[in-house]
Amino acid sequence: MSKILVINPEKCTGCRLCEQVCSVKHERVVNFYRARIRVVKWEMEGKILPVVCQQCEDAPCMAACPAHAIARNPETGALEVNYDLCIGCRTCMNVCPFGAMGFDWVTNRVIKCDLCGGDPQCARFCETGAILYVDKAELSGIKQRKGAESLMDLMTKVTTAISAAG
Amino acid sequence: MALSRKIAYIDLTNRRVRTAPIPLEMRKLYLGGRGLDMYLLYNHVKPGADPLGPDNVALVSAGLLTGTLATASARTHVAGKSPLTGFVGSANMGGFFGPELRMAGFDHLVITGKADGPVYLWIHDGEIEIRDASHLWGRDAHQTQTMVRQELGDDDIQVMTIGVAGENLVRFACVMTSLKNAAGRTGMGALWGSKNLKAIAARGRMDIKLAFPEEALEYNKEIITQVTSAKVSKTMQKLGTLFIWGTTNSTGLVRVRNFQSNQIPYADDIEPESIEEEMIGTAGCFGCQVHCRGRYFIKKGPYTGAYVEGPEYTSLGAFGAEVGCTTKQTVLVGNHLVNMYGLDTLETGSMIAWAMELFEKGILTEKDTDGLDLRFGNDEAVIEAVHQIAQRRGIGDILAEGPLKAAEKIGKDAIKYLIHVKGMSNLHSDERPTPALALNIATASRGSDHLRSRPAIDLYHLPEKVLRKIYGNPVPYDGPLTSDYRDYEGKPWEVIWQEMCYEAVDCLGICKYHTVFLGPNMPNFSEWPRLIQLNTGLELTSKDIWDCADRAYTLERLFNLREGLTREMDWLPDRYFDEKTDRGLPVVRGKSIDREEFKKMIDEYYKLHEWDEKGRPTKKKLEALGLQDEPTHKL
Amino acid sequence: MSKKTEESAAKKVVKGRTSGQFRCLNCFERLTPPPGAKTFTCPNCGYAWRIYWFNPGEPRIRGPVWDVNEAQTQKSMAENKGGK
Repeated sequence: MSKILVINPEKCTGCRLCEQVCSVKHERVVNFYRARIRVVKWEMEGKILPVVCQQCEDAPCMAACPAHAIARNPETGALEVNYDLCIGCRTCMNVCPFGAMGFDWVTNRVIKCDLCGGDPQCARFCETGAILYVDKAELSGIKQRKGAESLMDLMTKVTTAISAAG
Repeated sequence: MALSRKIAYIDLTNRRVRTAPIPLEMRKLYLGGRGLDMYLLYNHVKPGADPLGPDNVALVSAGLLTGTLATASARTHVAGKSPLTGFVGSANMGGFFGPELRMAGFDHLVITGKADGPVYLWIHDGEIEIRDASHLWGRDAHQTQTMVRQELGDDDIQVMTIGVAGENLVRFACVMTSLKNAAGRTGMGALWGSKNLKAIAARGRMDIKLAFPEEALEYNKEIITQVTSAKVSKTMQKLGTLFIWGTTNSTGLVRVRNFQSNQIPYADDIEPESIEEEMIGTAGCFGCQVHCRGRYFIKKGPYTGAYVEGPEYTSLGAFGAEVGCTTKQTVLVGNHLVNMYGLDTLETGSMIAWAMELFEKGILTEKDTDGLDLRFGNDEAVIEAVHQIAQRRGIGDILAEGPLKAAEKIGKDAIKYLIHVKGMSNLHSDERPTPALALNIATASRGSDHLRSRPAIDLYHLPEKVLRKIYGNPVPYDGPLTSDYRDYEGKPWEVIWQEMCYEAVDCLGICKYHTVFLGPNMPNFSEWPRLIQLNTGLELTSKDIWDCADRAYTLERLFNLREGLTREMDWLPDRYFDEKTDRGLPVVRGKSIDREEFKKMIDEYYKLHEWDEKGRPTKKKLEALGLQDEPTHKL
Repeated sequence: MSKKTEESAAKKVVKGRTSGQFRCLNCFERLTPPPGAKTFTCPNCGYAWRIYWFNPGEPRIRGPVWDVNEAQTQKSMAENKGGK
């Protein structure tokens, strides 16, 4: 069963450990700007959003690649770049709606999340649960429960307010 | 390697920049961060230099492991001769600046002279520019960071800055980064202000190469688990550093109304659990899974809607216990203001609390305060006093001078009510029942301070066996050690061990919550050699690290002695001996420090340090550490 | 480098961790309050504590039950047990 990265921005503390371990895993160095994941922050407003490839089902990067260099890894479900075919045109960067396709200026090639071959380090190191690596089959259940929880909170508040009003 | 980063000498008077490599031999002697900064401080600041004059030096550095796979390797160190005390100025902060500075190619900045107008430094990929900051002058710490990012067109830039307090030379102004990370103590913000240095911006894309990346990754995971599985970490993840209040106020170890009680009962509103209700979550510094910074929006009053981070435990004293206030709104707003102004929250609260006691005793009157009603518990007056200090208005202009200078200006008996050591105010903690903690504040190299050598775990009643294991490594110790925090015996060694431990983490660039500070089973000298080896390739033993820390701490001592420190200054305010605690549990009630016992403690502390009876490191000690010829001007 | 031993040191520490308990601040006895309890009185010394559960199953002292503990302390001081 294939798994997928799920981002819960409200749990992200903005520590950027994911960026660090990602760059070490893939490039063997610490360099936030060569990581496949990016914690985007609006610091003074307190807003944080980790950005990483969603491994889209109908992936624009794959569809747009003129060299057919992007393909899904059947084992992990990750969309991967075949650098033997890649011509370095960066069309994939332009079409990705998430900005999740990166460009490494050191190696001069596009970079993207490959789920670390099935053991994504970002999720492994993120103890807050902001980045989870979950079975696709569990995805709906997790989201439904989360939705239900916030709905229940709201209903409780309404009920309390009504009963308080007598 | 992480060790390829350079040192930059920035002469603001002549607007010249020179860079140089950092020799490996200096790494092996001082590691980096605070350690190398202390070497630079001792070597570059002329004896007797005016802390606010061009001869003082502003130092900024990343630790040896900053930015590497050493958990919470976020720290940046800031140093210089302190405008507050005239002794060692040194403060440490989290956030993201240190790692970014390293990625921009530098580990140490030595900033000298004085610019002829406001400037800021722009450091990027091995380059350093001195830029005009006229338009930033007068801006608060948050606005400045945003404006620098906009001007340079890059949201990923990390900025260290001073607020208005630093510009106004408030002697306890701090240097800030992000929303609330502060190199808070010893007035480094005033030092920057005196140099017309408003900010330093850094942005780098240079790889930090690791010696053994795969192994470092795995070991990092192991260390993270060691840290985050501790109860203190789990509590901090929820409540931030405020959590300490549960123990200290419940026991009766809190400084209330300046120094008039040691517990503030029924103050439920300022309990961390109550403040947590205002939080939308917590934030972490670089690479940290403890994430102890609270995040909240102000919901009432003139700052409604402001997004704020914090407050820390210190602010609970500054805007709570010390000033006799018991509403969280005051703590939340006070925290916001000191962050914007760039004020040391601890010193600010302590100065206000002291002024309030002077007001109560009639030493200060409404005539002196221009009508400001400085009664304990007056929330509005506390907030107004913060504005006045930062803007140097009214009584604030006097308080902005820091404890000793303000006491001199006010005269009468004002000095009697100061809770300070070496001209720096104490945390909102009451050490009368805890001799170990009292020794810590009396001897700390930057003045009364809990982050230099506090054996906080002394409060945990740990079995002697556990204490022996912690305090017996890496230097064997077979003297007394006791579980009872009321004891005088055996405590000097705990203080020395903690000095070395905290010095070491400050040299490495790791946060204190990731070592033996609040949790006994945290990484320390046993874990660090491997962390250093995997990340940098340097082979150092636990004892080597201890020696580096000892070398740096001894240089701090030498610096202070050169600036006029005497044995009499390693001492507590008289009130610690003459007034007894009035509240708290039976074990802490009715307690004061015994002068004779305390004197013996100081003697023992000096002896264990191999310092003479006047607190001067012996020749033998200096030779053992290779310090006999300092200053040697190698950097 | 003695990699093996130090690795186990970090792991051993983790294994030794306890949860579900807190220490009485007065007598240092390890206490296990019933899940969700808002207050708990130390069976050893009689001091009462307000409890906060920072995680399900993990309690800490929020503060004293002020009246109870103050009365206890007054009594104890009167009997002169507190001094050292």
